[in-house]
Parts: sequence; structure tokens; C-alpha cells
Amino acid sequence: MTAEAQVVQVPLWRVRLGLFAKAMRTNWALFTENPIGLLGLGVIIFFGLFALCHPILIATDKVTFGLVDKPIWDPVIYDPVSGFDMEIAFHPSPPSATHLLGTDPLGRDVLSQLMFSTRYEFALGLIAAIVTMTIATTIGAVSAYFGGITDMILMRIVNLVMMVPTLPILIVLGAMMEIGMLELAIIIGLLSGFSGTAIVVKSQALTVKVRPYIEAARIAGGGHFHIIFKHMMPNLMPIALLYMMFIVNGAIAYEAVLSFFGLTEIEMSWGLMINTTQYFGYLLRFDTWWLLFPASAAISLLCAAFYLVGRALDEVVNPRLRKR
Amino acid sequence: MTNNDKVLEVKNLTMHYMTRKGPVYAIDDVSFYVRRGESIGLVGESGCGKTSVAISLMKLLPDNAEIINGEILINGHDLVPLSDAEVRKFRWRHISMVFQAAMNAMNPVYTVEEQILEAMRLHRPEMSDKEMDEKIDHLFELVGLDPAFKSQYPHQYSGGMRQRAIIAMALSCDPDIIIADEPTTALDVIVQDQLLQKVRDIQRQLNMAMIYISHDIAVIAEVSERVGVMYAGQLAEMASTEAIFHHPIHPYTMGLMSAFPSIVGPKTELVQLPGEPPDLLNPPPGCRFHPRCPYATDICREKPPEFKEHAENHYAACWHPGGES
Amino acid sequence: MWIYLGKRFVLMLFTLLLFQIITYLLMDAQPGDVADLLTMNPDIPPGEVQRLRQELGLDRPPVERMINWIANFYRGNLGVSFTEYPRTVSDIIKERLPRTIVLFVTANVVAFWTGFVTGKILAWKRGTALEYGSTIVGVTLYTIFLPWFALMMIWLFAVTLDWFPPGKFIDPMKWLTAEVSTNYIFLRIIYTTLAALVFIFLCFLLSNRIPRRFRFPLRLGSVVLAIAGVLLYWATSGYADLAWDIVSHLVLPVGTLTIYAYAGTMLLMRTTMLETLREDYILTAKAKGLPDKMVRDKHAARNALLPVWTGLVFSIVGSVGGGVITETVFSWPGIGLTLLRASTAEDIPLAMGVLTILGILTLVSHLIVDIGYAFLDPRIRYA
Repeated sequence: MTAEAQVVQVPLWRVRLGLFAKAMRTNWALFTENPIGLLGLGVIIFFGLFALCHPILIATDKVTFGLVDKPIWDPVIYDPVSGFDMEIAFHPSPPSATHLLGTDPLGRDVLSQLMFSTRYEFALGLIAAIVTMTIATTIGAVSAYFGGITDMILMRIVNLVMMVPTLPILIVLGAMMEIGMLELAIIIGLLSGFSGTAIVVKSQALTVKVRPYIEAARIAGGGHFHIIFKHMMPNLMPIALLYMMFIVNGAIAYEAVLSFFGLTEIEMSWGLMINTTQYFGYLLRFDTWWLLFPASAAISLLCAAFYLVGRALDEVVNPRLRKR
Repeated sequence: MTNNDKVLEVKNLTMHYMTRKGPVYAIDDVSFYVRRGESIGLVGESGCGKTSVAISLMKLLPDNAEIINGEILINGHDLVPLSDAEVRKFRWRHISMVFQAAMNAMNPVYTVEEQILEAMRLHRPEMSDKEMDEKIDHLFELVGLDPAFKSQYPHQYSGGMRQRAIIAMALSCDPDIIIADEPTTALDVIVQDQLLQKVRDIQRQLNMAMIYISHDIAVIAEVSERVGVMYAGQLAEMASTEAIFHHPIHPYTMGLMSAFPSIVGPKTELVQLPGEPPDLLNPPPGCRFHPRCPYATDICREKPPEFKEHAENHYAACWHPGGES
Repeated sequence: MWIYLGKRFVLMLFTLLLFQIITYLLMDAQPGDVADLLTMNPDIPPGEVQRLRQELGLDRPPVERMINWIANFYRGNLGVSFTEYPRTVSDIIKERLPRTIVLFVTANVVAFWTGFVTGKILAWKRGTALEYGSTIVGVTLYTIFLPWFALMMIWLFAVTLDWFPPGKFIDPMKWLTAEVSTNYIFLRIIYTTLAALVFIFLCFLLSNRIPRRFRFPLRLGSVVLAIAGVLLYWATSGYADLAWDIVSHLVLPVGTLTIYAYAGTMLLMRTTMLETLREDYILTAKAKGLPDKMVRDKHAARNALLPVWTGLVFSIVGSVGGGVITETVFSWPGIGLTLLRASTAEDIPLAMGVLTILGILTLVSHLIVDIGYAFLDPRIRYA
């Protein structure tokens, strides 16, 4: 029984795409095995939509372009930084039909503030995570690849950064200098997460380094950086992605604390909302719950969401944790 | 001398693992016995179920595994219906095990001495501290280790030393039967040979029953009096070593024997077994070997053959024993 | 092992020096200098500003000033605080540091121990409702916004239940007629507690050498005796109510920080246990017929302890930050609160001094964790 095997020419990109899709499907299946991952992802998506709602509701530029007659939220009243509702006698006011989460001591709508700040939280997290990831993976990969003195020096640096107490330094920096969103993100990215990530990436890189295809690439004449970036990095991405989640978690938390202390120059953030509450003396008063609770809950929820996604990714990346 | 006293008897053992895709029947209706002081071998390809048999005998199954039928009789006591707490009394005291790839079989944070002592304290409480100490020294000498090393940690031992220590540990409570699951696979050939000799000597010296599990036929031939050949979770054939090597009945065994080239005698053609072992999630109907068997006929494809005696003390599960049609 | 420890110690000193240099540069980077601050008064003639600068040594090159500062630091001269003039910085730190240390050490030790134990038990019970429930609780506690959590604690225990005061170190009313300072009582509380703990520890060590029958009674007896001793001491000292005042103000901050720190260790321990349980030696332990508890505690947990202990290294930084936040929300005057206030008030000497001390605290904790690890892992101890 013979059959002529037919060789079908499939373009390389097609093959790669197919493999990628298959890997995604398996990873997704593993990810969804644990409900917490989905929960985290759901919360993140919710907040994403939440952030998107704000410009839609307050669409002032659309009014200018003649697209809508009147935004749902009149910016004079609902602007998160400078809005003021004159119809209500005393601010802060409890939740009502016009202000679903009430107003803060300066007369601004709490829900609007909450929505507006969300984008900054995401941006902050993203920037900090990217900064950390870039540095940490590079250090981890280079350190593992070259070994010897390079490794020693890099690890000393990592150790040094690890031992720095992040919050105290942030406090001092915040007090002495004017820190905006971008600066804060970069500083947090540099200080807080990268030592842990660098060490983990380095361990992973060490296991990758001894794999046969690295040896093959070297024999084939691949230069050092070519090997590091083209061959090692893709294998380090999963674990890097995993740690990104934890860094975003940390970044949001640090910014919130710093804003709570009043040490940042960000126009509006969840931490700042709580700072306003404190400034006007409403912090320890629990009858004005809408001043404290929504912002705190938002911070906690978003941090938790990223952490949960990170944990679920951990089960995808680290096979020993899986149930079966 | 061996007598008819059966230390271990396994009857119709069937066990499956529950996976995401359904049950995998790792052991299907396996029956055999081991007499006191006898050494038998269990041979087969990777995934044929031999390690599964080993851990089932001690009921060390993972959470997703379950023995759904059969009896495991140790000195006449059936372990299958017993609870975990009750089985623990048998473990190590009557049946112990030397693990495969035992590099990490010892806990790195305790001394070797402590790890042996804890089993002895549990199973032989009547022994005094001094007696236990002497026993460990004796065990070390038996396996070829310097007793001075006993108070050191596993990471201070070499690979071969660790394997010997594991063997000493397995012998510590004087079990009736010991299961050695590929104990020398992870070692280099010279150490492997030394250890093999040692194991054989110890087994004879202590008149201890042993089940030696390996995928390497040559090793099995060196240590076992009787051999069981496993395929796809079932016992294909079981007979004395001599019979298995010179008069195999099951086509699979025949294939295995031919695959092992002899350095003496005329050159014979290497008989290859085409194909691969079956997926145990969906084993083939009838005889599990039929897709690869050169003698397979219709009955082989439909009805699974019975594991029965074809010659004296020579069992096989085949419709065409010896290849006859 | 000693080589390993020696290396860690040298590294710590080196890091400390580097940290101080960075601290100095941080402060120095601020525009304007001390002389400007001191001489904001426009009535002071310009020549005076220059003279002041010279007197304070501010016109010297930066490197020289930095070396000066660091040298002074090790001589114990940290400068004089602006906001609490004329108290010296070292004086303020001496007063407040013990408080933060109590907060930090108690919270971390208790949190680690409870996290370790609960994590170990939870991992063993994988798949049960208890495990899911506690994982949720753990994640919540780990990611919750600490200031809010602290406020919730105040709301629950101080406002609603009225069990403890809502903040501050003491109730000033009670101390109006006191002849002794708060620190006097505070330090005595620390000493008596330490003595009691050392006593209990020694008894426990001793109990390992006596026959099994007497162990539990000895341990129980030592704990009871220690507690009774402490209570007796304070009852007869005549300062019992003052001591209680301090203690009752301690409970909530320490409790809050402990609960917050607990979550991290518990989650890590659970994860690590799950990995450890797949190791070969666990199968060996079960094969030996050892009871479940023994396998779990003696074999699995003891090995899981190693990475979790190392994990402490990362949580130390978080703890220090957490301590600052806790002190702030509770207005509890430790080093953390001092840092915040000094920074916002731009009291540079105090801020620099406190920042350095916090850095030292972090580094020393690191070193202790490293030393601990060397003892816990035989592979390091007997390399």
C-alpha cells in the first residue's frame, strides 16, 4: 500500500501564526482553569470600560464639533478637578440622583473623579511596568548569559536596589521635588519592582541558556546580542509578563499612598481624592462614607485584579502549580 | 530456598488515572505473585505501567488515581480495601521501595541518619536507640558505605552513594519484599554494575523478596529468577528468566528478545517492532498488542486474550502463543 | 558558611555607604540651601547670608560636605532639627526609634509565623472550600489599600467597639501627673516583654532534652509563669495604668501592620508548599508510612520554609513602607511618621537622619534574614 506523500508548501509565517494561535489556546485554557484569573481579568476590563466612559459622558469637544447637543455631564458641574454644583447647599453631599456617589468637600462629583482618575492609574501602571520590565529582563538575560564579572556587578546593583526602602525614598522625593505622573511612574519602575523581577528572569535565563538551540545559534555564528534578544527573550517573556502584573499592582498602590500624603503633583487620582477628604477633616468621619469608600475600594480592587491575573498567569507559566 | 509461601500476591489489579480527557487505564487486570526470598523482574517500555504497579502496591497513588478492582495481598492481607492509615502500617515494614531517579528521594534538610531513624522509630519502636544506631551502621556496611557518613546531609553524597543510602533506608525495617524501580538508571555504567551486584548479593543474603523494575532487559536478566513482561498496562507474559529469554511465547517478548543483539553467536537480523505503544486513553480493542503484532488475526482484534498458563509456570496472554497461527 | 555570611556583611556595609551617598545627593539636589531657609527674613543684610554660609561650611565643595556629613553621622552627630529646634536629630531618633522597632519586629515576626503555619495547613487542604475562602481573604488583605484598611480597623475597634483608642501614642490626660516620661515606661515594657520571651524560649529549648511526658507541661508552665511574672511586675510597680495606656495604644497599629504583612507570607507559603509537595522526597516520606502531619510538617513545610524565608527579603521593604503608613494613619509617633512630617516641613537634617536610619533598618533586617537562611539550609551550612 503506497501513497505518494504530497509536500505542501506552507509559508513560514502561516506556520508561525498557527503555532502561536495554538499556544494561545492552550494558555487560555490553562488560564481559565482557575476562576481567579478570569475574575481579575473581568475587573480590569470593567475598569477599562469605566475609564472610557468618562470622556463619553463629559464630551465637551463633541459639543464643539456639533455632534451632541449637550453632554450628559455638564462639565461646569461634573469636571473632576474644577467642577462645582451650586444647586446643592452643603458640600460634601451624600449620593443623590444627580450625583451617584455624592460630592466631595470642594463640590466636585465623586463618580466623575473616580472615572477620570482611572486612565491615570492604567497609564501609571503601564509605564512603571514597561520601565521595570525592560531593565529587569535585560539585566537578567545579560547577567545569565555572560556570567562572570558582568553577572557579579549586575547582581550587586540589583541587590543594592532591592535593599532600598521604597516608600521612604518616595516620600522624601515627593516632598523635595515636584513629581508628576510620568516622573512618578518612572521612579517607581526604577525602584520598586525590578530587583525581584531581575532575579527571577535571571534564573529562567540560566535554564534557557543551557538549552541546545542556544548552543546551535552560537555555532551558527550568532552574535551575543542576537542570541540574547532573539532567542532568549521570547522564553523570558512569559515570566516577565507575569511579574508585570505585580509591578502594576505595586505602582498603583504606591501612587495612591503618595497622593494620599499629598506629595504628588497629579491633578486627580484616587489617592488624591482621599487626601482631599483628609485635608478637609472628613477622614475619620464615617458618616461621609462616599468620600473614603469608593476611592479606596477602587484602588484595592484594581490592585487585586492585577494580582489575581498575575497569580493565574503563574499557573500557566509554572507547570508544577497546576492541579493535574 | 524459595518455597510456596507467597509474600505478595496480586490478583486482577486494575487502576486508572483520571485526566482532563477521561480515564487512563494504566493497569488492566494484572495478576502475579512473588514468593518469599524470590526475585522477580518487571520489564517493559516507558509508559507500560510498571511504575504504576509499583506505586499501586504500596497504595501511594496520587489523588487522581484509583484502584477500581483487584486484590493486593501482602502476607495474606488485602491492602486494597484498607484506609490510608491502615496501609501505613504495612509500608516500609513489610513492603518498601527504592525509587527511580532517587537523586531527590532524600530530604535535603535532614541527615541521612535521621531519615532512616524516623522510619525505624515508627515501625520498630521496640528497638533501643543504641540498637537502631548499630543497625544503621550494619546497613551502611551492607550497601558498601562508610558508616561515618551517616550523620551527613544528602547533598554531601555523590550520586552512587545516595543510591546506596536509599537502598539502606529501604532495608532498615527488614521488609518482606522490596520494590526496586529502575534504581540504577540515573547512574553511569560502572557504578550501575557495582550497585547491581550489591543489590543481588543483599537480596540473596537477606533472603528477601524483590521486584526489580526496569526497561533494560539485560539488567533484569542479571538479578531476577522470574520475569514479567508488561505492555500497555497489562501483563503480556510471565515466566522464569531462562524461559523468557530462550522460549518466549508472546510476540512482544519475542520482539524484545530479538531486539537485544548478542555479542556471541551468529549474526541474526534485528527484528523490529513497528509502531508505538497504544494511547491508554483509547486502547485498541481486543489484544492491545494487535496493531503491532505480525501474527495478529481477527480474534486478536476482537477479544482480549486470557492470561493463562501455556507451559509449566509460564504464563502469557496471547491467542497465538509462540507465533503459531 | 562563615564566608557566605562575611560576604553578606561586607555587602551590607557597602550598600549602606552607597545609600548614604544617595541620600545626601537627594537632599543636596534641592534648589536653594539651608542658609537661604534660615535667612528668609529680608531684614538680614546680604553679607550676613554669605557669612552664615561660610560659618555653616556650605561654600565648601559638595564632595567634602558629603564626606563630612557621613563622618559626622558615624560620630553620632546628625545635626539639629529645624522643626524641633533645638533638639538634635539623634536625640529625636533615639526617642522614636524603639517604637518603630517594636512595631516592625512584632508585626513581622508574628505575621511570618502565622503566615507560615496557616499557609502550610491550607496547602495541605487543597481544593476545599476553606482553601478557596482563605485564598480570597489572603489576596484581599495583600492588595487592600493600607490607609483604608487602617481606617477600617480604627472604625471597627476604636469607634464602633470602643476597645482601643483611635490613635496617638498616649492619652495626655493620664500623664499629666506622671513623674516619669513615656519613654521610661515604654522601654520598661520592652524589657519585661523581652525577658519573658527569652525565658519562654529557654524553657522550650530545655524541653527538647527532657522525656516526652514532661514537655508539654513544661512549655505550658513556662508561658503561664512568664505572663504572670510580667503582670506581677507591673502591678507592683505603681505605673500599671500608665503602662496599660501605652499598651492599649500599641495594639491597633501593631495589629493592623501584622495582619497586612501576614497575607503575603501566607500566600507565598501556600504556593511554595504546593510545589514542595511534588518533590520526590515527599513520596519517600509517605512510602515510609509516616503519618500525614509528619509528612506535612517535618518534610514539606521544613523545605518550603527556605524559599518563604527568602521571600521575607522582598517583604521587608514593603513592611518598612507599611510601617510608615500605619504610623501616619494612627498618628503614632515613630520614625515613619517623623519622616513624613520632616519631609513635608523640609526639615532637612531630620529627614536625612531618619531616611538613613530607615535604610539601616532595612539593611540590618536583610542581613538577619540572610544569616537565618544560612542556618536553615544545610546546603549552605555545610557547603
